[in-house]
Formats: sequence, structure tokens, C-alpha cells
Amino acid sequence: MTAQHNPPAAPEVDLEAAVLSAIASVDDPEYPGVSIVDLGLLEHVEVRNGPVGGTLGVIVGVGLIPTFSGCPALEMIRSDVDRAIRAVAGVDDVSVNWLTSPAWTPDRVSMRGREALARDFTVAVSINNQATRCPRCGAKTTEQSMFGPSRCRGIHRCPNCSETVEVMRG
Amino acid sequence: MGRTWQDMEAFEAFLDDGGIVEVDDHMPDEYRHAVFTFIEMHANSEYMGGLTERDWIPKTPGLRHKMSVLAKTQDEIGHGHLLYMVAADMGIKTRTEMIEDLMAGRSRFHNVFHYKAETWGDQVAIAFLVDAAALASQQAVFKNCSYGPYRRILKRIISEEGFHMRLGEDRMRRIAEGTQIQKDIFQGALDRWFWPALQLFGPDSKPDDKLLRWHIKSERNEVLRDKWVQKFVPMMHSYGFVVPASDLAYDEDTKKWDVGPIDWEPLKKTLAQGGPDSARRIREARDNWEATAWARRCLDGAAV
Repeated sequence: MTAQHNPPAAPEVDLEAAVLSAIASVDDPEYPGVSIVDLGLLEHVEVRNGPVGGTLGVIVGVGLIPTFSGCPALEMIRSDVDRAIRAVAGVDDVSVNWLTSPAWTPDRVSMRGREALARDFTVAVSINNQATRCPRCGAKTTEQSMFGPSRCRGIHRCPNCSETVEVMRG
Repeated sequence: MGRTWQDMEAFEAFLDDGGIVEVDDHMPDEYRHAVFTFIEMHANSEYMGGLTERDWIPKTPGLRHKMSVLAKTQDEIGHGHLLYMVAADMGIKTRTEMIEDLMAGRSRFHNVFHYKAETWGDQVAIAFLVDAAALASQQAVFKNCSYGPYRRILKRIISEEGFHMRLGEDRMRRIAEGTQIQKDIFQGALDRWFWPALQLFGPDSKPDDKLLRWHIKSERNEVLRDKWVQKFVPMMHSYGFVVPASDLAYDEDTKKWDVGPIDWEPLKKTLAQGGPDSARRIREARDNWEATAWARRCLDGAAV
């Protein structure tokens, strides 16, 4: 054993963690401060060695799933993720793709994501068939319109505090 | 239930302290009317803006842009929907009354929706110049708005308008880096939209502006307008376009651009529904409203 010998596992684990935190630093373009990872858009990440421009390099492959396939933010999110990963030291090439399955569902939104949406945007997340709760007072909301400002959101009303609530749904 | 204030002085002291008014508070009538009128105009503008955007769905070049126009249409109509709900809660007009007033030309919407979008270049100019102006004025309201329900809705609307801005910049960059024909089309659109976008901020705020005094708005019109000019004049130059202001001057001392005197007559005309495209816009909105009555009836029935 010489001093130059690198333990094989450690740098890769660090690199993978750095890549994951780069992806988590990308916010949803419509919800600044809410990470795409907390919204459940990240399906898989792969860090591997492969040919990059004739030599061997580190390639990162990312699979994302959209909240709905016609979402106009797809290209913007893809390029934001691509840029964030390329900025990680040790990464040589990146490939970010939108997957057609599995389908996104609201229960992919993390607890932290739900809290941020409720606190910062008065947006509730509709989980399975449970009643949606008002982000302001916690009362059960009632649906006003299935058509909100986006395909992935409807409009509810809180009968208790009269708040107008947007609800993220599948 | 709601809070009560002894008189206007006590209410204003509450607002000056950063107090937030909620829907069930017993707010003074003048305040209620001022907030209501402001939100109603915002709601009308989102709705009319959504219809403008919709006109371009079949004509938009390329699938990617088409998706963004589709989504923007839904965004604007959704914003209108949310804002009409918040306005109706104030108990002055119902949503139906607001829509009827809009269709009859009795209420206002932003000046920029009284003009015709002639080409795709106009749509790009609207997304780039007008959306930025609208966003700047909404941000100035949101920052400090004393009416809670509106402030919370604005936070979401602003995030989404910020997204539209990025789409607008993307569209603009593509046309600016395109062929000479594309550049000429965009220059023509800039010539048409520069002044209406600038006039969207309105004339200088009056010293006794109630919207400022009651912390409904937090920035004077002329300050917002100036910020917009300082951002967009250099940006248009950097992409090689001409700013259509014959008196445009750069002050070396203040390091600021000055667009010269502003003619407010076009703005006044639009506010009286006398803009170049006002009559057609209102008529088409009414035709659209009548043509979609069956869908609302179905939805009402389905909700039972």
C-alpha cells in the first residue's frame, strides 16, 4: 500500500451526494423556494463512468417525471437541472430526460414540500381521496372549480375563513 | 369575528403599523371600495389578457411555443378566476355582475389589452415588455399590500408571471437571433408596444393617492416606470433594436435613460374604452361568454 492509493468508495459517494444536492437546488419555476425534488419530480439518478469525448469520464443520467405531460415548464426545468449538475466538480457529461412513466401523483410531494406550498403559496396538496385542508386554518375545503391556473391545480374555497385555495392534484 | 375600528384615523394608524385587513373585518367603506375597484380591474385584465393569449394558440409557430401559449392562457384565466372570487367576497358586486359590467364596457381593464396584436412579434413584445411592466406593478402591490386575501393570491400570481417573463425572454432571444425578416417583425412590434407598456404604469402618482396612503400599493407610479425604463432600454439596445422614443437621452451624471415627455392621451382613451381595438375586444369577449354558456350550465349541473 502506498500513500497514492485512493480508497475507491469515498469520492463516488461524495460525488453522488453533490449531484443530488445540485438537483435539489433547482426550484420549480412557478414556486420559487420549493425544490423539484420536494415536488416529487425526481425519479432516478445514475452516476457512472463512460466515454466522454474520446476519454473516460463521469456521466450523470437523470430521469424526471412531469406533473402533467403538457407542462410548459419542462424544457426550463430540464435545462436548470442540466446546468446545476454540470457545475458539480468531477462531472464530465450530463443527460436529463423526462420519463413517460411512472405517472406523477400528489403523494410524491414530500412533507417539506407540502409545508412550503401551504406556508408560502397557500397551496394545498390533494392526497389520495382524503379531504383537502385549508393551509390557513386547517378546515376542510370545498371544490369551486376543477380548472385552476394549471392542469395540475384546481380551485377550492375554505368555508371557515373564506380563503381561496389552490389545490395541487394528479 | 371581524375587527372594528373607531374611525378612519384609528384604521389608518393600524395600516401604518403594517396591519393586515381580512375579509370579515369591518373596514371603512372607502377602503373597501378602493381595494375592490383595484382587484376588479386586475381580474378583468387577467381575463382579457387570457383571451388575447388564446387568440394565438392556433397561430403560434412551433409545438414548444404552442404549449407555452396554451399554458399561459390557462394561467391568466385561472388568475382571473381567483381574483374574481376575492373581489366578490368584498360584497360589492357578485362575480356575474363584474363579468356583465366588463362585457358591457362599464368597467376597466389594463390599457395594453385595448390594442391589437398584429403578428407573432407582437406576442413576443407583449410577453417581454408588457408582462414585465405588469409584473413590476404587481410586485409593488404585493410587497406591502394591506389587504390580506389579495396579498396572498398575488404571491402565487407573481411567481407565475415570473415564469412568463422567462418564457418571454426565451421567445425574444430566438426572434432577436433570427433572420433579418424576423428582426424587422420584432422591431415593428416594439414600435407598437413600447409606449403602451410604459403607459401601463400610469401618470405620476398624486401626493394624496389613497392607494399609497392605505398601503394597497407601496411604490409610486413614476418610480416603477423609471425602473422599467432603466432595465429595458439598455436590454433592447443590447439585442440591436431601436427604442421608439425620438427624445431618448442618456444622462451622464445620473447614469440614467430619459424617454422624454410622455403623451397620456392614448391611456385616457383606453380607460374610456376608446382604444384602437377596445370595441372588438369587448365584443369578442361577450361573444365568447355567450358561446360558452352551455359549458357553464353543464358544470353547474354536474356539481349537484
